[in-house]
Order: sequence, then structure tokens, then C-alpha cells
Amino acid sequence: MNEFYIIILGLIAVLGVISVYIKKSPFDKLIGLAIMMGGVIPLIVLKGYLDVAILVAIIMPLTTIFILQATGRNTDES
Amino acid sequence: MNPELILGFIILLAGVAASAFPRERDYISRLIHVEIAGTGLMLVMLAYDETIAILTFVAVTAIATIVLIRVIERGEPCD
Amino acid sequence: MIPLYDAAMIPVYICGIVALYAVIRIVTEKKTLKKLVFLNVMNFAITGLIVLSIPDIMALFAGIAYFVGSTLEANAIASTYAGGKTNE
Repeated sequence: MNEFYIIILGLIAVLGVISVYIKKSPFDKLIGLAIMMGGVIPLIVLKGYLDVAILVAIIMPLTTIFILQATGRNTDES
Repeated sequence: MNPELILGFIILLAGVAASAFPRERDYISRLIHVEIAGTGLMLVMLAYDETIAILTFVAVTAIATIVLIRVIERGEPCD
Repeated sequence: MIPLYDAAMIPVYICGIVALYAVIRIVTEKKTLKKLVFLNVMNFAITGLIVLSIPDIMALFAGIAYFVGSTLEANAIASTYAGGKTNE
């Protein structure tokens, strides 16, 4: 049971990192960041730190929204 | 060895290398790559049994990202 | 060491395979708006993996927090991307 989780989640996290590095648009980079966080948070739950997992899951969209403020400012400059 | 430790070191090295040599040379791309390196370091710290250290590290990383976003919005764009 | 057929492990296998398929579709997709649809699929599958992982009551709250946060994040990306295109 545990090996299946480790293989699937490690593959998802590494694919997310590769997707962040390859793509050039900032929106695609943020989607890759969401993929990588989706691979990392079940590993924290599997280790047993439930409070850390809840804190990371609450803070993750907050950081993304604050980065989106800087990217969205460039598109509708007029 | 621990699987989280190996995955954390892989993600940390990939994040540091991608942050040092990015493909797009602007500030936002570099900031997102720094975020990858922070996640890898959090995964390395997960292998040891310190809960308060991980909580403090996650909160301070988020605050530092917000401050850096404020700095990037004010400054002029780089080359 | 892993038993190949176990009746209690079938939902976990289904969630893992769906998550991996969604990630592969996201990486090999060109348009951003088609990418966000499969990001939502991956969020559902990862929430299933979190809830099915350990038999503890706090895992339900972790799943709830991850589901709300990731859905908010995906919709914020989609809203900013579409709003930037239409207002211009």
C-alpha cells in the first residue's frame, strides 16, 4: 500500500517540477506549481503531520493569489 | 533511506538549479523557481521530527513571498 | 510484497491512475484553458488519495482544507487569465 503511494506521488511531484521549468508563460508556471503541491501534500499526510498539512493547504492558494497580482498587472496595463 | 528525504533533495537541487539559470530572465519566473526550492527544503525538514520548525518555516516563507511581490511591483523591470 | 489483487485497495488504485493520467494530460497540453480542466480532475483525485490514506478523523479535515484551497487556486488562475484577455 505504502509503495504505491510513494511511487505515484513522487512521479507527480517530479512531473510538476519539470512542467514548471519547461513552460514559459507565468500562468503555466503557476499550474505546474499547483501540480507539485498536489504531489507534496499527501506525502505530509502520509507521514502523520496533519496540522502541517492543513496549514500548507491553507497557505498555498494565498501565495498563488499574491503572485497572480503581479502577473495580472502586466496584461491589462492600459 | 527515507523516500521523503530523497524526493526532497531531488526537488531542492532542481529548484536551486532552475532558479540560478532560468529560461525567462524576469523576476516573476525566478520567484516561482525560488518557491520550488522552498518546497523541497520543507520536504527535507519533514524527515526529522520537528513540528514547530516546519510550521514556522512554512509561515515565514509565505510572508517573504508576499514582501518580495510588493518589491517587484514597485521596481522597474529588468533587462 | 504488494498483493496484486486486494478488494480494499481498488479505490486507491483508481484514484492514483486517474491522478497520473490527469498530470500527463496537463504536461502535454498546449492551451492554458484546456489545462485548467484537467487540473480540476487532478484535484479531485488527490483529495481521494488524502482521505483514503490513513484511518484518522483529522485526515477528513486535511482533505477538506486541500479541496477548498486548490479549487480556489484553480479558479483564481482561470479568472485572472480570462479577465485579462477580455478587458483588453
